[in-house]
Amino acid sequence: MSTILADPPPPIDNTWAVPGIAIPATIAAAVAVYFVVRSVRDSVRTPDDFLIANRRIGPVQNAVALASAPLMYSTLFIITGHIALNGYDAAMLLTAFTTSMVLGVLLFASPIRNLGGYSLGDIFAMRAEERSARKAAAVVTLLIYGMFTIISLAAIAFIFNRWFGLDNVAGLGASVLVVGLVTVLYAYMAGMAGVTRLLVFKAILTLTVVLVLTLLVLAEFNLNIFDILDKAEANRKDVPAGYDLLGPGREFGEGQHRLVHLSKLFCVAVGVAAIPFLFMRNFATTSGKDARRSAGWASMIVVGIYMCMALVGFASVAVLGPERIGVIKAHRDISLPKLVDELGGPVMIGVLAPIALLTIVGVYAALLINAVTCVTKDLNVARGRKPGRADELKDIRRNTLRIGIGSVLVGVAMLPVRTHIFIPTSIDLAGTAILPAVVYALFWRRFNTAGLKWIVYGGTALLFFLVIFSNGVTGPEDAIFPGHDIKFVDIEPGLITVPAGFLLGWLGSISSKERDDAAFAEMQVRALTGGLAPGVRKDAARAAAAAAGGPGGQSPNGAGPNGRGPAPGGPDDHGNQTRTPSEAR
Amino acid sequence: MSSTDSPAGGDRYVAVHGSAGFKTLQRKTNSFLIRASVLFFGWWFIGTSLAAFAPGFFRQEIAGPVNVGLLFMFLTFVVVVTVCASYLRYAANRLDPLTDQVRAELEGEPR
Repeated sequence: MSTILADPPPPIDNTWAVPGIAIPATIAAAVAVYFVVRSVRDSVRTPDDFLIANRRIGPVQNAVALASAPLMYSTLFIITGHIALNGYDAAMLLTAFTTSMVLGVLLFASPIRNLGGYSLGDIFAMRAEERSARKAAAVVTLLIYGMFTIISLAAIAFIFNRWFGLDNVAGLGASVLVVGLVTVLYAYMAGMAGVTRLLVFKAILTLTVVLVLTLLVLAEFNLNIFDILDKAEANRKDVPAGYDLLGPGREFGEGQHRLVHLSKLFCVAVGVAAIPFLFMRNFATTSGKDARRSAGWASMIVVGIYMCMALVGFASVAVLGPERIGVIKAHRDISLPKLVDELGGPVMIGVLAPIALLTIVGVYAALLINAVTCVTKDLNVARGRKPGRADELKDIRRNTLRIGIGSVLVGVAMLPVRTHIFIPTSIDLAGTAILPAVVYALFWRRFNTAGLKWIVYGGTALLFFLVIFSNGVTGPEDAIFPGHDIKFVDIEPGLITVPAGFLLGWLGSISSKERDDAAFAEMQVRALTGGLAPGVRKDAARAAAAAAGGPGGQSPNGAGPNGRGPAPGGPDDHGNQTRTPSEAR
Repeated sequence: MSSTDSPAGGDRYVAVHGSAGFKTLQRKTNSFLIRASVLFFGWWFIGTSLAAFAPGFFRQEIAGPVNVGLLFMFLTFVVVVTVCASYLRYAANRLDPLTDQVRAELEGEPR
């Protein structure tokens, strides 16, 4: 993964930014997004509308939104400079991301949607005691939310520095505050439906930019990709070990060190698919079939984008030469703006600045909806709170503001801290504490509450223990505490903790006598068919909502009163399920 | 831990879970997913390990600047699209009709 936050000196000499164009363009983009989001505001009348867009997101829109969410500062902006500097090994990261998307298509999309539900807790609660399940889900979801939010907000500061030429600390803090609060406003206005629109808007602009960049570099080299690669190799920034740009080595290195980069690739490949704010989007689609379709299409879109970005990465060193690209780790994100400046001139820099911001705004908005869903559906239930029907939407909206504003303030306060370790750690956490639990829940008869707790708490504890003694916290000068050195873990901890998560889940499950074959049968049948036995669920209102979103022909007995939809309760709390939410209309 | 509030409904899941139709659906789904996963993730893990531990092989030139490693990377992207497309097609043609049957069995009026 890439460094978002490391900001050690030396500062960059920003000769390309044109705030005179970038600032008006950003204001125009913010207003455009406001109207895009506002166009769906009136459709938000119930909690389900807000949290999961009432499962009305069609496959095409969902595919674009799914493809849009993983296009972050690290995978679009830093990666260019990473490839320009480290060549082949950096580009391998892109294949790891696409690998993870395949995992999402094969394992997550359709079963997750078929189960219905809103949050990770709804999945866990089908195979474990409800309150424990929801507490575990809330812990891991909110941990990932916290870490990802802090790095996303920090990325905003970097965009203002790199693309707007802003370099005083107070100004950067104020910019992050404003952009963060505007994002909270977007999420507040129209919830999931609005965020989906926002992500689609972002995807369209980002795709255009990637396409234009690719065409520009192809035109520069008369459409000859071989020329680009040859020139990139010829222009490579020499490293002491002397590796070529187009072959492996620059990140892998030699000896034991090879495991370091290999472990990073492994963690991305298994972890990204399990990041809650990315795969929870499947709950908002119209059906399991549509979730599967949209995930498949999204992978294809992302493959197209990443192939272009790999080419742009190699082209940037081919065009700029070895000295003008960012030549140290912390400067990898200046290669792209310099390339844009070279090929497109100041106008293009100015126009791209708001699009760069929009990539982060989209990620943060999706994160925020995920956190609000988690608090509403998991945390509140785990804490025994049952909000009244009438004011549930009001509560959710208030939570959005509280969580959003609070996070933005924390993000601003955290700006001076070098927290780039949070990206790989949150990906590792998803792979360690979520992936094994979901796999066992879907496929293993014996899985139970103890297994879930061992995975989530044991895996998380092990991961944080290893992270504390790894590179990002102490040791190198871009660590959080560069002056100290207590590290003994050199590799990405996920290489150890992801298999450990599976092992813990197995140990925990067999250590407990709890076993529920009926719950397993229900899980498997529902995950595969998306159906719900009649008369089992009393949450008829939810079923009606699900039926309204579901395409025809899926329910042979019509949109009957039998709850086909989420089972918000675990297998053992149906006594409480008479509480119907206020979705009925 | 009781599974459902209505024994009939809970039994129904167990009954469907044991039914021939569901077993067929499950077998077809899992066999495709397992084959696709083994093929794809095997391909990626082997390729990535080669890049790490047999870099000499990946540095071998094929044509102009293109070496084995770059070809692997390109093929990985192609394989991602192929795997996704074939899963979508297989699921739509082979799995969905079965799914609809089993679902009808599950959701129909009690017999």
